[in-house]
Amino acid sequence: MTEFAHPATDYGVVEEEPPALLERNLLIGSRLWASSLVFFFFAFLFAYFYLRSLNQHGLFQPKGVSPPQAWGAVVAVCLAASAVLLSWGAVDQRSERRGLWRLKGVGALALALVAVVAQVVAWSTLGFGPTDGGYASVYLGWTGLYTIFVVGSLYWLETCLALSFRYRDEPFGRAEVEPGDASGDDYREAPDIRNAVHLNTAELAALTFTWTTMAVIGVVTWVVLYLA
Amino acid sequence: MRRRRLVEFNLLTGVVLGIVGFYVGWWLGHLVKAPSLDYFDDTGQNDIALFVAYFTGVVGFLVGLGFANYPVQRMLGKPPSLREKETEGIGRYFGLCTDHKVVGIQYLIGIGAFIFIGGLNAMLIRFELLRPTHLAWNGNNYLTLVGLHGTMMMGMMTSGILGPFANYFVPLMIGARRMAFPRIEALTFWLLMAAGTILMTALAFGGFPTGWTGYAPLSVQANMGMDAYIAFFALVGLSMTLLGLNMLATVITMRAPGLAWGRLPIFVWGTVSTSVLMLLAAPVLISTLFMLALDRTAQTGFFNDQAGGSPYLYENLFWIFGHPEVYILALPGMGIVLELLPVFSRKPLWGYRLAVTGLLGITLLSFLVWQHHLFVSGINADLRPFYMLSTELISLPTGFIFVCALGTLWAGRIRLTVPMLFALAWVFNFLIGGLSGVFLSDVPSDVTTHGSFFSMAHFHYTIMGGLVFAFFGAVYYWLPKMTGFELDERLGKLHFWVMFLAFNSTFGPLLVIGFLGMPRRVVTYAGYLQGANEWVSVSAFVLGASMLVFVANLVWSQVFARVPAGANPWGSKSIEFQLPSPVPVHDFDRIPTFGPDPYPYGGIEEAGFDGTRPAVSPARPTP
Ligand code: HEM
Ligand SMILES: [Cu+2]
Repeated sequence: MTEFAHPATDYGVVEEEPPALLERNLLIGSRLWASSLVFFFFAFLFAYFYLRSLNQHGLFQPKGVSPPQAWGAVVAVCLAASAVLLSWGAVDQRSERRGLWRLKGVGALALALVAVVAQVVAWSTLGFGPTDGGYASVYLGWTGLYTIFVVGSLYWLETCLALSFRYRDEPFGRAEVEPGDASGDDYREAPDIRNAVHLNTAELAALTFTWTTMAVIGVVTWVVLYLA
Repeated sequence: MRRRRLVEFNLLTGVVLGIVGFYVGWWLGHLVKAPSLDYFDDTGQNDIALFVAYFTGVVGFLVGLGFANYPVQRMLGKPPSLREKETEGIGRYFGLCTDHKVVGIQYLIGIGAFIFIGGLNAMLIRFELLRPTHLAWNGNNYLTLVGLHGTMMMGMMTSGILGPFANYFVPLMIGARRMAFPRIEALTFWLLMAAGTILMTALAFGGFPTGWTGYAPLSVQANMGMDAYIAFFALVGLSMTLLGLNMLATVITMRAPGLAWGRLPIFVWGTVSTSVLMLLAAPVLISTLFMLALDRTAQTGFFNDQAGGSPYLYENLFWIFGHPEVYILALPGMGIVLELLPVFSRKPLWGYRLAVTGLLGITLLSFLVWQHHLFVSGINADLRPFYMLSTELISLPTGFIFVCALGTLWAGRIRLTVPMLFALAWVFNFLIGGLSGVFLSDVPSDVTTHGSFFSMAHFHYTIMGGLVFAFFGAVYYWLPKMTGFELDERLGKLHFWVMFLAFNSTFGPLLVIGFLGMPRRVVTYAGYLQGANEWVSVSAFVLGASMLVFVANLVWSQVFARVPAGANPWGSKSIEFQLPSPVPVHDFDRIPTFGPDPYPYGGIEEAGFDGTRPAVSPARPTP
């Protein structure tokens, strides 16, 4: 035993964490994750320009290998619109118009789902296959990994919406959470997240940043793969 | 108010569901059919099935450990608790636990086991090299051994210090009771365990011939063991990305009030700089391996020259990750050494700002040098001067670290404890490692040393002589704090001296052998080098034996002798040594107050090394 800590744990003391901490964690975490995302897709950007400038045996993009322009545009527009809608919704949540945020959140989710479906349709109507050169490889790899990440981000959006719907009747300042509700953490006396609505606002701010980054990457993808 | 559950989630359920998942995926994967994949049926080499099996196996493992509970609850809109199983008792080590101290110990044991296996591979490699011709293995099996050794070591040692020690001590050092994302913290560990297991299954699928670098086109054509390599490194990459993210978020947001950046212990800075590299470099690796997996399954042509791709693309992307990776293996060691030297010289860290500048300078520069691995690959010769210069520039911030180390030692009251011996050995070994690196970064001399045992000895001096020695320094320094029991000092010194002498007697001669032209990753060598190789092999066996001394020490002192360590065995002023050993579940009763100087050594009261006037004081109790 020292003056800093008693060997036995008093959970009542431990749980006291400033509520703003969780919020800052989420915000910083989302920025860090966004920078990782950039490096995930930097690899494909590098691959695209590397193979394009090498153009081995003239096989980078043989004649007839061209992406489905219409579907590509649908994907990009839906992603961008979804990101705009979500940022707008986050403003609503902050200014206590939580019903409006839920509406916009559902809209953002729907738009992104349209983008995913459009991408799947684009794959199934491609005029080329994986063996048709450098461009074809980059196209499939890039859009493939990107779509996986979009679906992952949509899961996050879904959790925010679900939380918001479950606590829709709770007033802003008070939405007490059952202790240890979620994860088998039953022996704790006090919850470490004291306010579900507060959590919702923080997560939404974090998600908005990540989702906007994803949308920007999506638009860059579109510019490189379809327009360049 | 503990609720009973139908099934408890733990390691056992994890392993069971992991195995079930693997076979389900294997079966599902075989259902995929396409004309271009007909060769799967003819050759029995079904890469798609194996990838799907690895994926579902890992998912099953994680579900069994209980990682799915939280995401499912979130989907239903229930807000989570941040913590799981943060309690006393041995059971918490065998499953998902969000206590940062438990994760640290899990890492130490889990990684330790896989590194031990990697070490055994090294012994087998050195056994084969006792003779210039085939002795025990054919060329293919030899290459698999080399690949398993290198890949396992690189993959596991990247988290070798951040995993056990940063997880355990960084929260304490910044006055936090947890990491920013405790569940992600646990996830990084279990991902690594899944990865290590997958890599070992490479043996069941014919091994892989590429070494740890996985160069295309060989890696595109190789048999199914290559898939194990890909799955392993992708999982390691994911674990690294998340570990880096979590560490950065923790240090950025969770520092105790008043603990400004300039007051952080230098080990925290080492962790921060490593984390930046992990966060940004590992994603490039994952994407690259994704391309490689597509080439091997969907027949894309990223790395296939005949299909509009290029193997050079792989080489470039790999080293865009790979060079930061080697510094991911260097920076934590620097952090440890600079953390230990003040304690055992009873002096403040000399040149704190210079040291931080050095760490951050290395971090930045390490993204700009990757083509020094491709000097003789046939790259455009005009690129060479830039990469030569940028590489040699790294010596500058590396030099800062050395200056700070020596400045701290200068006129210090040095105590040659076991951790201190390891820290001093780092200074010696890493100097040789760095100097040999300068020869490699010099294009004219790299032309003869590239792909030789010189290069191999270089990176063993930096990684084994640097990181692994720092790792053991950290073990001897912190393990008593983590378990509450002392390590035996005499066995520790024996371990140190055998390891230090055997290490240099192994890799010193290899620098020369490499200069004489012995190539890496080849099972045979020129006959006249046999004597030297026998010397090296015997030294390597002694080096291996020194690890057994360590294991004996560990088992003896932690299981049998169990001498209580006391709170502050080294007279350290750092926060973790002001806490009981082992640190209680809740870390501290109240968040402590940190002073302006993390290393207030050398005061008048120093005489007794009694650890008074620590760098922190307990917070005033709130009335
Ligand atoms: C002053 C510092 C350093 C310099 C100038 C340097 C330079 C180089 C160069 C030029 C190569 C390429 C050699 C070749 O393949 O022909 C190389 C290889 C390597 N270096 Fe270093 N290095 C330095 C420090 C380090 C450190 C700190 C580490 C790790 C902790 C490290 C790990 C490696 C590894 C693993 C390889 C070989 C990779 C492989 O081909 O498998 N180096 N180094
Ligand atoms: Cu390098």
